[in-house]
Amino acid sequence: MSELDLSALPRPKSQPWQVRNPKNTWLITAASVLPMVLAVIITLGAALDPTVATILVFLPLQIIASVSVGQYIYGKKGRGDALLVIFTIFFSTLVGVLLVSVMFSVVVNGIRAMSPQFISQNNVYISPTTSLGYGGVGHAVLGTVLIVGLTTLFTIPLGILIAVYLTETRGRMRSTVRTLVQAMSGLPSVVSGLFIFALLISPNFGNATGFTQQAGWVGSIALFPLMLPTVARIAEEALRLVPQELRNGAYALGAPAFKAFWQVTLPAARSGLITAALLGVARIIGETAPLILTTAPANNTNLNVFEGSIATLPTYLYSYISQAQATSQQRAWGAALVILILVFVLFSLARVLGSAKSTKAKKRK
Amino acid sequence: MTQLQDSSGEIPPRRQLRTKPFSLADRVFYGVTKGASSISIILVSAILLFLFSQSLSTFQAQGLDFITGSQWNNTKGDEVFQIGPMLWGSVLISILGIIGGVPMAIAAAYFIEFMAPKPVAKVATVMIDLLAAMPSIVIGLWGLYVLTPVVSHWSELLYTMHHVELGFASFDIPLLSMSNGKDPNTFGGTPFVAGWIVAVMIVPIITSVTREIFSQMDRDLINSALALGGSRSSVFMRVILPTASGGVTGGVLLGLGRALGETVAIFYVLNLVSDINWFNILESKGGSIASLVLQKFGEGTSEEVKALMAAGLVLFVITLLVNWLAAVIVNRAQPWRKI
Repeated sequence: MSELDLSALPRPKSQPWQVRNPKNTWLITAASVLPMVLAVIITLGAALDPTVATILVFLPLQIIASVSVGQYIYGKKGRGDALLVIFTIFFSTLVGVLLVSVMFSVVVNGIRAMSPQFISQNNVYISPTTSLGYGGVGHAVLGTVLIVGLTTLFTIPLGILIAVYLTETRGRMRSTVRTLVQAMSGLPSVVSGLFIFALLISPNFGNATGFTQQAGWVGSIALFPLMLPTVARIAEEALRLVPQELRNGAYALGAPAFKAFWQVTLPAARSGLITAALLGVARIIGETAPLILTTAPANNTNLNVFEGSIATLPTYLYSYISQAQATSQQRAWGAALVILILVFVLFSLARVLGSAKSTKAKKRK
Repeated sequence: MTQLQDSSGEIPPRRQLRTKPFSLADRVFYGVTKGASSISIILVSAILLFLFSQSLSTFQAQGLDFITGSQWNNTKGDEVFQIGPMLWGSVLISILGIIGGVPMAIAAAYFIEFMAPKPVAKVATVMIDLLAAMPSIVIGLWGLYVLTPVVSHWSELLYTMHHVELGFASFDIPLLSMSNGKDPNTFGGTPFVAGWIVAVMIVPIITSVTREIFSQMDRDLINSALALGGSRSSVFMRVILPTASGGVTGGVLLGLGRALGETVAIFYVLNLVSDINWFNILESKGGSIASLVLQKFGEGTSEEVKALMAAGLVLFVITLLVNWLAAVIVNRAQPWRKI
C-alpha cells in the first residue's frame, strides 16, 4: 500500500484568469506597434502632413489591426473592446498633449524671462523694446497680493459664515441661499466687473462723474462675487464632513450652539476650511476681466489699495500679451509663469494642509 | 406595569423638539450667520436688478432687435446697439467647444478611472484639477502663441475639402466654406480656433466631474455585468454611460456655463465682427458677448455702457439657466451628496 500524499498542492503562481497565451501577447504587441511603424514609413515616404497622416493613415491602420486581432483572439466581443481601447487612448492622448502643452509652454517660455530682478523690480522706464535685464513684475505681484488679500479679508469670513448657516443652523432660507450661491458661481467674471464698474466708476444716477475713480479696492469688490461661491461651497463640504455625533456630544454636555461650534465643529473642520480659503484665492488670483474694468494699470509700485492706479499680474500680462516685440511677449510669458507658480503653490498648500491635519484628527480619535 | 396600563392604548403626541436659541450668545451666532447669508441674496438680486434697471432704456430703444439685430453704432444721434452676432457667436463657440471637449473629457475620465495604473491615474487627477483652476488669461496667452498656429494649419487642411466635385455636380460644404469666397491668407481669429480654446478650458472641468461620477459608481454593477458575459465595450455603453449619464450631462452643462462666460482667452484669439456668422467656422469673423464688453467698455459713451449692461444681463441670465440646470442634474445624479 503506497502512502497517501495529503500535502497541499502548490498555489498557482498567477490567477487562472490572468494566464495569457504568449501567442496572444505577441499578437497584441504587434497590433500596437506595427500600425505606428507603417504609418511613420508611409508618412515619410509620401511626405504627408502629420495631422493628415495621423487621422487618415495611422488611425485607420490601427483600427484595422486592433479589430482584427481582437476578433481573432476574443471573437465578436473583441471587436468592440478594440474600438473602445483605441478611442479612449486616442482622445486621452489628445487631452494629455493639450494640457501638457499648456504647462510646458508656460514653463519653458516663462523661464527665459525669469530672474531675481524680474520678480522684484517694477515696470517704470520700461518700453516695449527694453531688454529683459531691466524691469519686472514686482509691482504687479504686490498689487495682486494687496487686492486679492483685501478680497480674502472679507470674503473668507463671509463664505464660512454662509457655510455655517447652511450646515449648522436650521434656518428657513437655506435652500434659497444654496441656490443663489450656486447661481453666483455661474456669474461671468466680466459681468461682475461691469456691474461694479457701472455702479461705482462710470457716471451714474444723474451725477457727472462716478462715485470713485478706478482703484484697487474697487477691483477687490469686483472679485468678491467670484470668490464667495467657491469658498462657501468647499467650506460647506468641509463642515458637512464633521460627524454629527461630535456636535451632539457637545450639546449633550450642555454646550450652547455657539460654543459647540467654536470649540468642537470649527477645530474639527479646520483643515477643510483652510482648503476652502486657499482654493478660493486660487480661483481669483488670475481673474483678469473684472480687474481690467475696475483698476487702472500702473507701471510704478503702488501700495495704496484705496487710491490711484495699481498693477496686478493678470492686467500686466494683459497689457503685454499682444505686443509685437519679442521682449514684451517674453514678459507676458514670465508673468504667466508667476501666476502658474502661485496657483500651483496654493494648490499644493491646500493639499498638504488639508490632508496632514485630517490624519492627525484621525489619530486623536 | 402601571405605566403601561396608564397609557391605555393611547399614544401620547410626539414631543416637539425645539432648536430655538436660548442664550444671547447663540442668538447672536445665529443672527450673524443669517446676516452673512442674506448678503448672498442681496448681492444676486442687486446685480440682477441693477443690470435690469440700467439696461431698461436700451431694451426700450432697441426692442427685440437687441437680440436679433446685428448693428453696433455709438455715434451720437443714431445710436444702434444690437448683439445678435455676439450672442450667436457665444453660442456657436460654446457648441464647438462642447463638440470637441466632451469626447475628450469622457475618454480621459474613463482612462483615468478604469484603464490607467494607479500612479498614472493619481498624477493625471492632480493635473486635471490644477488645469481646471488655470486662469483663463494664461490659456489665452497659450492659445494666441501656441495653439492658434496649429489650429490655423488644421483649418487650412479642412478648407481644402470645402469644395466637393462629384462628376455630375459640384457644391460647397457650407460649414467649411467662406461666405465671401476665398480671402484667406490667414485662418486665425476664427470661431474654429476659439472653439478649440474653449474645449481646452472645459475639458478639465468636465473630466473632473465625470471622473468623480465614475469613481463613485457601484463596482458590483460593473463586475456583475462582466460576469454575465459583457465585454468592456458593452459594459461601457450599456452600464457605465447610462448610469453616469446624469452626472456627465451636469458636468457638460457646468463646462458650457464657463464657456459662455469666457472673456479674455477668446478676446485674443477671436476676430470680433458685428456681422452675423452663422456656420462658416473657418472665417475670421465671430462674436462673443463677454469679449464685446471687454472691447467696448473703455471708449464707451454712457448709452453704450448701458447697452453693454443689457448684453451682460442677457449673458448672465443664460449662464444662470445653464448652471441651474447643471446643478439640478448633478444633484439628482449624486444622491449620496445629500443636498
